Amino acid sequence: MPAQLKTAGWYRAAAFTLLGLAFSFSLTTLIRSLYGYTPLIDGAAITIVSMIAVPFFFLVGLGAFDYWFYWAAGRPTRAEDHASHGAHSWRDYFKVNTDHKVIGVQYVCTTFFFMFIGGLMAMMVRAELAAPGSQFVDGQDYNSLFSVHASLLIFLFIVPVFAGLANYVLPLMIGAPDMAFPRLNALSFWLLPIAGTLMTTSFLMPGGAFASGWTAYAPLSTTQPLGQMCFSIGVQFAGASSIATALNFLVTIITMRAPGMSFWRMPLLVWANFATSLLVVIATPFIAASQFFVLLDVALGFHFFDATIGGGRQGNVVMYQHVFWFYSHPAVYIMMLPGFGIVSEILSVKSRKPIFGYRMMAFSLLAIVVLGFTVWAHHMFVSGMQDWIRVPMMITTAIIAVPTGIKIFSWLGTMWKGVIHLDTPMLFTLGFLTMFTLGGISGVMLAMVPFDIHVSDTYFIVAHIHYVLFGGSLFTIFAGVYFWFPKMTGRMYNEKLGKIHFWATLIFFNLTFAPMHVIGIQGMPRRVADYAQQFAAWNLAISIASFFLGLSTLIFLYNMVNSWRNGPKAESNPYRSLTLEWQVSSPPPIFNFDEIPTVVGGPYEYGVPGAVHAIMGGTKPEPVAATVGSDTESQES
Amino acid sequence: MEAASIGTADASHDHGDHHGPPVAHHSSTVEAQTLGMLLFIVSEIMVFGGFFTAYFFIRVVNGNPWPAEGEELPQIIAGFNTAVLLSSSVTMHWALEAAKHGNRRGMKLGMLATLLLGSTFLTVQINEYVHLGFAPYDSAQASIFYGLTGLHGAHVFIGLTLLLFATIRVFKGHFTPDEHQGIEVPGIYWHFVDVMWVIVYLSVYIL
Repeated sequence: MPAQLKTAGWYRAAAFTLLGLAFSFSLTTLIRSLYGYTPLIDGAAITIVSMIAVPFFFLVGLGAFDYWFYWAAGRPTRAEDHASHGAHSWRDYFKVNTDHKVIGVQYVCTTFFFMFIGGLMAMMVRAELAAPGSQFVDGQDYNSLFSVHASLLIFLFIVPVFAGLANYVLPLMIGAPDMAFPRLNALSFWLLPIAGTLMTTSFLMPGGAFASGWTAYAPLSTTQPLGQMCFSIGVQFAGASSIATALNFLVTIITMRAPGMSFWRMPLLVWANFATSLLVVIATPFIAASQFFVLLDVALGFHFFDATIGGGRQGNVVMYQHVFWFYSHPAVYIMMLPGFGIVSEILSVKSRKPIFGYRMMAFSLLAIVVLGFTVWAHHMFVSGMQDWIRVPMMITTAIIAVPTGIKIFSWLGTMWKGVIHLDTPMLFTLGFLTMFTLGGISGVMLAMVPFDIHVSDTYFIVAHIHYVLFGGSLFTIFAGVYFWFPKMTGRMYNEKLGKIHFWATLIFFNLTFAPMHVIGIQGMPRRVADYAQQFAAWNLAISIASFFLGLSTLIFLYNMVNSWRNGPKAESNPYRSLTLEWQVSSPPPIFNFDEIPTVVGGPYEYGVPGAVHAIMGGTKPEPVAATVGSDTESQES
Repeated sequence: MEAASIGTADASHDHGDHHGPPVAHHSSTVEAQTLGMLLFIVSEIMVFGGFFTAYFFIRVVNGNPWPAEGEELPQIIAGFNTAVLLSSSVTMHWALEAAKHGNRRGMKLGMLATLLLGSTFLTVQINEYVHLGFAPYDSAQASIFYGLTGLHGAHVFIGLTLLLFATIRVFKGHFTPDEHQGIEVPGIYWHFVDVMWVIVYLSVYIL
């Protein structure tokens, strides 16, 4: 066997992928022959088994499991030579790497890659909707376009890009040399490209890509062509990835904080990821379960959702929506809370003021986590579920606006009389504050049962979700990427291009999505390729604005690529920030710190004379720090 | 403890000559591996929660008879199987205690007994599937039955795999009274699998 196939890497991964295909083919055919099914060779069955099995073969080939195989066999542990730490050339980013900084960059680049694919699909959707009637796709293909658009942007962009940014900065912020489980971290990254590939390549399946929306309601999803399985199985991989990362964050935050870094001295980004990770660990298994049901119904003929057999043997269709939304409503907070963390960091630094109401900020995050589990059925007011569930869900949904409101007002309080630096990250943060507030207000409107019934499945919903996910989440992502760009790449981005990008995004975002409120209330249904003549003018305007919105992301892309290659070298702390990630070089040294720093104060004491957040390595810890550290231990036990 | 960890960092590093990462400060009394396993179990409980939601909707909300007409569940055999699985938790605990006291023979016997009991459970379960007389596609109740017991069976299989790794390491001479996390952590998972079975057994077979 050639050496290339023995060592972990892409050659071995390719070989193992072929092996996985052969395995799936033989396993399926063997089982079918044992049961005496005809035809013996069934393409659909082999494809489904391959979609589950081949990714594991690929990961083994790539080397994601090498260490664990070694460990499981009980062989003496290999001396750690740190070969998988740091990246010395671009090739290292295509390997299984255990360095949280490399994994962070891998995450951000991969997720933005899928953002551009998903965005392209949005452009195609808007092209189709530019005029009434059929432009260039038929109904099924149109459904596929918006379904894959939503699934990619939710499961492959917004959820994981936050994990990527936090992967990079969170261990630095709490003074840890790496994550708690670096190999698990590498594995959770490599599950992502698999999920993305499954969803994107579903267009190649016979019958086209999955077309039942990102919600994949049964029994629509259980009666769709094979492409639907790309969603069901792809979501499993994306979900496993986010559970593993969340678990890793929680353990890292709890067990690896620097001496003196008590919970009440953690930066709010760390708090936000702590809250998000709790949501992920508790909620994500539910979407896994819902997609297991669909998979079992389709592949093995189970009857979880079959309401037609009768005789006291029928399944339950509304059950799918309950299980699905029990994940997917907390998921909107999974997609928002880390953004809250990013915004808190940026606002405090750029306003040169301590965060207003630090503890309330942390408590409101936890309140959102708890309340987030009590509102799921507000997505189901028209589903035919029991009527009495509606009003409690309406009330809890209105209540969840309270902790969110606390955060909005605390951010405003942070800026109050501050020395505000209006650079690109800050502009995006302010853009987030306004856009997200608008999205939040339409959210409270939607909580009201009568109004929700009126606008159910109209463009009002599309407008709302894009105000919170684009105007909310994506603005914080842009803010975070610009903010930490110097830290991650060691170079400065182009400020002028950044500002042009912001204004273009803000203007064309509003031109695209604000009119959708209007046509939604007038009754234009979403998820339909055609519409009534009366909406033609608005839709043409929206489509034109959306193309400019699409073009504005190219400014961002150019700025990132060009600045990474040619930008001026960044200082270690260009924003005079207090948090720990800015106290090391840009990019940080391979093991983050020479010695673990000692934390002696809060992270946001801007403008407070003599305030110190941490004493960096080399300095002996003062006795006072030690007592604070032991306080920490008693606090969390 | 803090001083100790900083002390080791000092001892192993000369300034300007670093060969590895600084020793992380340990900010909790819980071990990372144990905490990781507990959080993983939380998410496993939620997977079961999803399947129990399906059970609830089909049995309670739909009001379907349980089990479906003409289907019968072998309570006695499954009860025997429950006893088998529960006793494997005892042997697992025995193995861990033996590891804590440095009793190598007890460790080996405890692990082997746990593996044996766990595999017996799986074998009986598969045998039950073969002789049940109904298939998952016969009714929604059958789907739930196979779904819940199958999900649990998959967890038994994962648990057995983890325990097999630990057993191999026991026989290769790993684990001391001070260092036995490799037994303790899969052990926690194994106890979870057992407790979960009791819940599955009670709700699917007995109630």
